[in-house]
Amino acid sequence: MKTFKGGIHPPENKILVKDVAILELPLSKVFFVPTQQHLGAPAKPVVNTGDMVKRGQVLTEPMGFVSAVVHAPTSGKVKEITKRVHPVTGLLAPCIVIEADGKDEWSHGLPLERDPFAMTAKELLNIIQSAGIVGMGGATFPTHVKLSPPKDKVVDTFIINGAECEPYLAADYRLMLEHPERIIGGARVVMKVLGLNSAIMAIEANKPDAIKLMQEKVPPEIKVKPLKVKYPQGAEKHLIDALTDREVPSGGLPMDVGTLVHNAGTVAAIWDACALGVPLIERITSVTGQGINQPKNIKVKIGTPLKDIFEFCGGLNNAAKIIFGGPMMGIAQYYQDVPIMKGTSGILVLTEQETNLNSYQSCIACGRCVEACPMRLIPSILSKFGERGMWEKALDFDLLDCMECGSCTYVCPANRPIVHFVKHLKTLQREASARRKEA
Amino acid sequence: MTGAMLMVGSIGLVAALILGIASVTFAVKMDPREKAVLDQLPGANCGACGFAGCAAFAHELTLNPEVEMACPAVNKDALEAISDILGRSLGAGDAMIAFVWCKGSPVDTITRYNYVGPKDCGAAQIIAGGPKGCQYGCLGLGSCVEACLFDAIHMGEDGLPHVIELRCTGCGKCVDACPRGIITLIPKSANFGVRCISQDLPKEMKQYCKVGCIKCRICENACPFEAIEVTQGNAASIDQEKCQKCGLCVSVCPTGVISSKQPPRKVQVIAEKCKGCGICAQVCPVDAISGKPKEPYAVDISKCIGCGMCIEKCPADAIERLIR
Repeated sequence: MKTFKGGIHPPENKILVKDVAILELPLSKVFFVPTQQHLGAPAKPVVNTGDMVKRGQVLTEPMGFVSAVVHAPTSGKVKEITKRVHPVTGLLAPCIVIEADGKDEWSHGLPLERDPFAMTAKELLNIIQSAGIVGMGGATFPTHVKLSPPKDKVVDTFIINGAECEPYLAADYRLMLEHPERIIGGARVVMKVLGLNSAIMAIEANKPDAIKLMQEKVPPEIKVKPLKVKYPQGAEKHLIDALTDREVPSGGLPMDVGTLVHNAGTVAAIWDACALGVPLIERITSVTGQGINQPKNIKVKIGTPLKDIFEFCGGLNNAAKIIFGGPMMGIAQYYQDVPIMKGTSGILVLTEQETNLNSYQSCIACGRCVEACPMRLIPSILSKFGERGMWEKALDFDLLDCMECGSCTYVCPANRPIVHFVKHLKTLQREASARRKEA
Repeated sequence: MTGAMLMVGSIGLVAALILGIASVTFAVKMDPREKAVLDQLPGANCGACGFAGCAAFAHELTLNPEVEMACPAVNKDALEAISDILGRSLGAGDAMIAFVWCKGSPVDTITRYNYVGPKDCGAAQIIAGGPKGCQYGCLGLGSCVEACLFDAIHMGEDGLPHVIELRCTGCGKCVDACPRGIITLIPKSANFGVRCISQDLPKEMKQYCKVGCIKCRICENACPFEAIEVTQGNAASIDQEKCQKCGLCVSVCPTGVISSKQPPRKVQVIAEKCKGCGICAQVCPVDAISGKPKEPYAVDISKCIGCGMCIEKCPADAIERLIR
């Protein structure tokens, strides 16, 4: 079975929500829609306080190509445009507060059923851009940018990422089981946009029923390939390595080696936008962990406050840590009023037994992190530089190639927060280069 | 045995000869003054002068007459010694000192979450902007303490860094180490500072800090010298050139965020010189001077804030400073 070098085997813990069918969350009273839910240039609001908005109405205007629009998740009134805690940065960021009127009325002309294969690639790309679709695995990179490679880069391989290698999460798995036609349809749309005749659907071997179902449903041009169960198998570069034996160069993008990877959730959102005319206003996410009473997979509108979701899932139970995303790469939350965003692939509520709040010790140079690092870096050295803030030295050890997957931190017997050190070094490097640019 | 001894001995002799010749031919001529200057410099290699360490600075200072004394850490005696060595007078710049612009100890501020990562303010800052409720305030993990080469800054019991004035050389290492820009250099002569740089509205600030500047402008109105100002959206700031160190702002501040390095300087009336005109009692902003006309006036030390307005106005020069 295909895989890559390095990586780890954390306990999967997917059993909590693996077999729970997707439920739709009841409509919340208030929605908090952050204007920035993507990587790239910010978007500025085009609605004002007091405006009435309808479900699917455009709320923001992107300030550049690498940016994404945000749509109203439901119908109601714009209560205020204010600054609220952003789930990714943890800082105050602009947010549009919508008071739902309970009618959940669609905006004019939506939804619009149409045949995406009757449209040209350009039209489809425009639809994807105006639907505000971003990478839904968590990185939230605008999808239309990935689908518009520069002329000198030829994309010949398209991979649909259904690996879902993060422990606990099962949202993509449930999506594959319950809505295979949306994923396949979306994949065909992407193939049409890029002019490709084939695609690969990659699924980790711990989801045999999803593999079986997909093998039955896919058209012959899409190949389903099982992958070895290993973290971080779903990371873009490692997926490409495992399936095509191509190595993305340091500092490069998958398109540099002629590949494109899209998450299964993103592909389903592309289908919704192109075939049903529905912009990205809801997503499927796993609410799981020992700290929640009833772990569930939910279909939730973007902007729903976390509190409502906890209520729907039976409330918290000895919760010690709340994480947006998976336990390896997710972002811890300190505030229970944060909203669900486009990139929230999971909501993890951990108890004290599941977390590790102990302090760390000196590096004992055991080399386990070196073995585990899927990017073939030397995390132990990076962590020592991190302790001293020596980012210039760390650059010589390929600091910027680290993708912060957390494998090194997971295996470290001295409990060192290696990824935290790396993030600190990257921040110092970024600040220093910004200062240099100014000077 | 003898052969081996001769062999090793002769190799030693030849090597010594080569080394001896090399030490004469390739000797680096060093200005003897350079070594003497270097001995006078602090030797901490902090880099505050802008050169790569003390030796590099001593080299430049000795050879280039245009280079001025840029070392903030050099003391008066050493400065005189260096002036003597180089035969030119070197003026010291304004002595600067590090100052911590935050008074919000963990007791007075709220903590948003339990931080368990590395003990480094920069590392804490990247986790949702740090655990402290105030995004301007001191994170209290001591990166400035780590950075100080002179052991002049330490964490106090209140969880905030404290500068030891005698040791601080104003090199600015702690200024660079603080990710929030809470530490800056101020003139050593400055006595008062508003220990808050928050730009939040008082309403917002009250939710997370009990001691921050609430921009009430009481200090601005109270200052007899117009040295303190609350500009739009910012905390109060003191113009150190205008400040006469009276300390009135400290006594009126409702949150106690203005602090002083030294106690305010009080005044006393010299009874022999006093003619009892009463001008001092009129100008005193805190009503600390009282007395009867034509009789010597007296200063209530507990009320006096040492602003010196009475000294300025007294026609008979009958008032002097009590504590210098």
